[in-house]
Amino acid sequence: MPPSTAFWPHLRALLVTAHIIAVFAAAFPSPTGGMNRSTWKDPTVQAEMVAWGARLSIPPDELETRLWRLAKTFMASRAVILAPFQPYYRHAGTHQAWNMFVAPHRNPARLHIELDRGGDWETIYISRDPTLTWKAPLLDHSRARAALFRYSWRHYRGSFRKLGQWLAAEAASDFPGADRMRLRWYRYQTPTPQQVADNTSPPGHFESARTYSLEALR
Amino acid sequence: MSLWSRWVSLLDRREGGEPLALVRALTGAVILIILWRDWGIVEPLWLHVDHGGYRVLDSPGWLIAQLGGCTPEVIYGLMTTCAVSAALLTVGVLPRLAALACLQLLLALTRINGHASGSDDLLITNALWILVLADSAATLSLWCRLKTGAWRSTRQVMAWPRYLFIGQLVLLYGTTGLQKVSAHWVPGGDLGALYYILQQPAWMRRELPWLADVYSLTQLATLGTWLFEVGSPLLLLAYWYRATRQRSGRLRSLLNRLNFRTAFALTGVSLHAGIHVLMDIGPFSLITLAMYPALWHPDEWRARLRLSSEPQQRPQPTSPPRTPARPAE
Repeated sequence: MPPSTAFWPHLRALLVTAHIIAVFAAAFPSPTGGMNRSTWKDPTVQAEMVAWGARLSIPPDELETRLWRLAKTFMASRAVILAPFQPYYRHAGTHQAWNMFVAPHRNPARLHIELDRGGDWETIYISRDPTLTWKAPLLDHSRARAALFRYSWRHYRGSFRKLGQWLAAEAASDFPGADRMRLRWYRYQTPTPQQVADNTSPPGHFESARTYSLEALR
Repeated sequence: MSLWSRWVSLLDRREGGEPLALVRALTGAVILIILWRDWGIVEPLWLHVDHGGYRVLDSPGWLIAQLGGCTPEVIYGLMTTCAVSAALLTVGVLPRLAALACLQLLLALTRINGHASGSDDLLITNALWILVLADSAATLSLWCRLKTGAWRSTRQVMAWPRYLFIGQLVLLYGTTGLQKVSAHWVPGGDLGALYYILQQPAWMRRELPWLADVYSLTQLATLGTWLFEVGSPLLLLAYWYRATRQRSGRLRSLLNRLNFRTAFALTGVSLHAGIHVLMDIGPFSLITLAMYPALWHPDEWRARLRLSSEPQQRPQPTSPPRTPARPAE
């Protein structure tokens, strides 16, 4: 067998092995995207701490502290391990992050968009409402859903504000008679089956309201 | 034979090109669908704020920066080029180059606004990278037709890119399953994860007012999804047992008798069909299913599609054949 023929299968096996190690290391379970301590105070996360604390017989506060320390150490080690592969991820598009639906968000929020035409506020869009559909082709698109899901968290409020400015400019053009536009989130707890049966779904509340004068945008 | 030698030998295998050709065509088609869907939302999400976007995008990546930034001309130009590349990939013309072009263009486009990006974008680029490395147009391609006069060819291709697709599916399912650590997901809890997830306005396709009435079914689906994902590495074991079916062992016998791979594929298709009907998470299910043809060996595809191992040559009416038909490789 010629040397070149004998050499290539080994090199190929080496390269394929390197690929497998790289993608496995990136895909290995990690709290990527969850290393913001303020998000751990969200009721959904806190409910998980209570549930797991009860299961493991550890007080929720202590469990949270332990997990935070573990997560920080783990993420620091992970960064070191992934560092040599970063150019491969970046240029070959081989990064992996499959932490999808790790937990149901029990306290989601719906975007409400409202107009002031000189009287009461008039709602023109609510997420997933089939009758209030202003800008729905954009706001219901899967890419916009991904962005809006993020913007319902407080630490994305800067980007939410920018989206609000863009929507206000669109509203100024689409509704010449309107004076103001308001954006706000309606946050609520998703009801349990029992609450649905008893018709005792917990009430929600509006938050993060932003009002824009449309006159200035015309 | 050492473990390394066996590994080298495994990666040196050749086989027919049908599975890779199907993955290539489906991936190209999915990219065309994505570009068609994204065309209408370019302005707010991917353009610079000076050109109608909502976020200031000053560092959109080297390619877009070199071309002049997130202007309509640049972004629509890149999308058009990507669509042409995806069309070439679908029909199988210059597939490696087309896959590389699609890969780099999608990386550039989807990194413009990371807030509007998702797991589907990651999965597509991973599939494209394997297609850059694979010989995916040996058969069932326009390239094959132009070169050989037939749509099909028995030309053998390297099998390892198909193995990488299988590995990618297992990695995707396995690691997403291991990260579903909520008390609502894991056995022993209330198994209410899907019930609550299907109520999340960000991802629901439409309101499901009857959901509480079928809570038990959603619990069953939660358990099924979790077991399918966490148990997906068993697929690799099933391949091993299938390849060594002459050996003894209860688990080997059981997995071979159950036809674990077919059960895995049917469960996966059902899962993605359910996601598609009830949720809107973009083209994630489409790109995942586009990799499924890699689960079967080319001989199995030929048998299922009732294809003979000999391709049908284009008739040559002007002159009689001068050489006998080439035997199958």
